Amino acid sequence: MPQSIRVGSGTRAAIFAPLDGVGRAELVLQRLTDAIVLGVLHDGERLPSEAELARQLGVATVTAREALEILRRNKLVHTKRGRDGGSFVTFAGRGVNDLQDERLLAWSRVQVRDLGVHYSAIAGLAAELAADRASAADMDNLERILDRTDAATAAAARRGQGTFRLEVAALSQSARLVREELRLQAEFGSLLWLSLREPLRRERCRAVQRETVAALAAEDGARARQLTVTQITESIEWLIEAKSLLEQKGMSTMTGITTTANIIAPLPTGAHA
Amino acid sequence: MSPETITPDQKIPPTNACALSIAAVFDPVFTRLERCADLVERYAARPNSVADRAELDSVVETEVRRQFADSTGMVIGAGFVSAPHFLGWHLAWWLSGQNPASSELPATGIRHLETVEDPRDESFRDYTALEWWRVPVQTGRRHITGPYVDYLCTDEYTLTLTLPVYRDGTDLIGVVGIDLSVDEIERGLVPRLCAGGVPVTIINASGRVVVSTDTHLATGALLRLPGLSERLSEVATSAPVLLVNGAHTFQWCGQTGLAVVAGLSPTGD
Repeated sequence: MPQSIRVGSGTRAAIFAPLDGVGRAELVLQRLTDAIVLGVLHDGERLPSEAELARQLGVATVTAREALEILRRNKLVHTKRGRDGGSFVTFAGRGVNDLQDERLLAWSRVQVRDLGVHYSAIAGLAAELAADRASAADMDNLERILDRTDAATAAAARRGQGTFRLEVAALSQSARLVREELRLQAEFGSLLWLSLREPLRRERCRAVQRETVAALAAEDGARARQLTVTQITESIEWLIEAKSLLEQKGMSTMTGITTTANIIAPLPTGAHA
Repeated sequence: MSPETITPDQKIPPTNACALSIAAVFDPVFTRLERCADLVERYAARPNSVADRAELDSVVETEVRRQFADSTGMVIGAGFVSAPHFLGWHLAWWLSGQNPASSELPATGIRHLETVEDPRDESFRDYTALEWWRVPVQTGRRHITGPYVDYLCTDEYTLTLTLPVYRDGTDLIGVVGIDLSVDEIERGLVPRLCAGGVPVTIINASGRVVVSTDTHLATGALLRLPGLSERLSEVATSAPVLLVNGAHTFQWCGQTGLAVVAGLSPTGD
C-alpha cells in the first residue's frame, strides 16, 4: 500500500532479496558494493548482522561473513564492537569515483554494451506499455515527481533517474518489468548512469525525462520507447568512451571527459519521422 | 460478431447477478476494515488520555493478525495510517511474511513495515497525496485503489482497499486499509464473471481493468469505450445502463467503487 512513500526503499528491498546461483560470496560483495557506491546505503548506516544478512540473502552465514570481510578490507565498511556495535557503511565520498572507475575497467566493452541491450529491452518496453496504461492521475503524479527531482549533483541526478525509471516501470502495470528494473538498478545503477557526473548530461537527462512524460501523456508508446532506448544507448556510449580514456591514460572519468559531440545533439525526433 | 451487429431483439447482457456477486467478494473485506476502524476510533475516543503510537500499534496488530489468518493468502498487507495531526506521520502497517529463503517455503508470520516517518528525511514521502489516502478522505467513503505494482513493499500486483477513520464522527485521524493480491483476486472473481455468454470486465473507478474474461483485455489496461468515462464520473447508481454504443452494459458493483462492463471488446484496435 504505501506506494511511493519511500523513494529508494524498493531498490533497498531488491538489495536484500534472496540470491541464487553460484559464486554467492562474490554476488553478495558485488551487490553491497554497488549499493554503497550508488548511495542506496548511506554513509554511517548500520548493515544487518552477519546472521541477519545471511538470512535475508538466503546464503550461508560464512558467505555473508566473507563478503563483509572483503568490504572491510576495501574500506567500505567498518566494524564496531560492543553494545552499539555492528558493521557500518563508511564511505564519505572518498574513492567513489575510483571504485566506479575500477568497476568500469573490469567490464569488457561487450559486457557494457550487452548491459545496455538488456536494460533497453526492459526499460524500453516498460515505457511503451506505460503510454497505453497510464491514467491522467498517473501522469500528474509523474510530473510532481519530476518537479521535486533535484539534479544539482551526480548522486541526486542518479537517484532522480532511478526513481523516474522505476515510476515509469510501475506504470506499465507489469510486476515482472518492475522487479527486473529494480534488480538492474540495484546491481548496475551506479555504472549505468555514471555519465550523470557531467552537468551537461544531467541537463540532458532531465530534458529526456520531460520529453518522455510528454510522450506518455500523448499516449505515444513508440516515442516513449525510442526516447528511453536512445537515452540508454547514449549512456552506454559515454561509458565505452570513458573506459577507453581510462585505459589509455589511466585518468579518472571525473575529469577525463568534459564534452562529447552527442551531448548537445538534439533529442531524438518522432518515431515515425 | 462486431458490437455494431447487436440487434434490438438481443437482450442487454445481464449484469445484475455478476455485480452482486463481485460486491459479495469485497463486502466482507470492508466489514473487516470497519471493525479495524472501529477499534482505532474507540482507542482515540478514550477520555483523558493521549494517543500513543506503541499502544495503538499493538491494538492494530492484533486485529491485523486476525485479518491475515482469515484471508487464505489473499491479504498481503494491512494496517492503519495516521493523519499527521493524530500520531504524526505514522504507519501501523504489516506485511505477510514471505519466507526469506524461498517463496515456496512456508511464510514466517507477518512483519512490520518500516518507513521513513521524519518529514525532514530526503526519502520521506507525503502519503496524504496518494490515491489510497486522498480519495476516501475526500469522499468519506470506502475506496479501492489499483491494481498497481506495489514496488516499495512487496513487488506484488496489488489492490488496496481503504476506509477513513474519524474521532467523534468528524475529526479525520487516518485511514485503515488492506492490500489484496491481484493474483488471488483473479482466482476469486473469474468464476463469478458471467453475463449471458458475453465477455465480462471488472474495472475500477478510473476505468482500469481488474479482471476480464475478454482475451484482449489485460488486467491493468485502461478500458476505452465511448461514454464510459461519463458513466464513471457519475454518482454510483445501482441499476445497469447501456453505454452509448448500445453494445455494452455498465453497472456499479454495489458500493465497492468497482464496476462491471459486459459486452464485446472494441474490435479493430
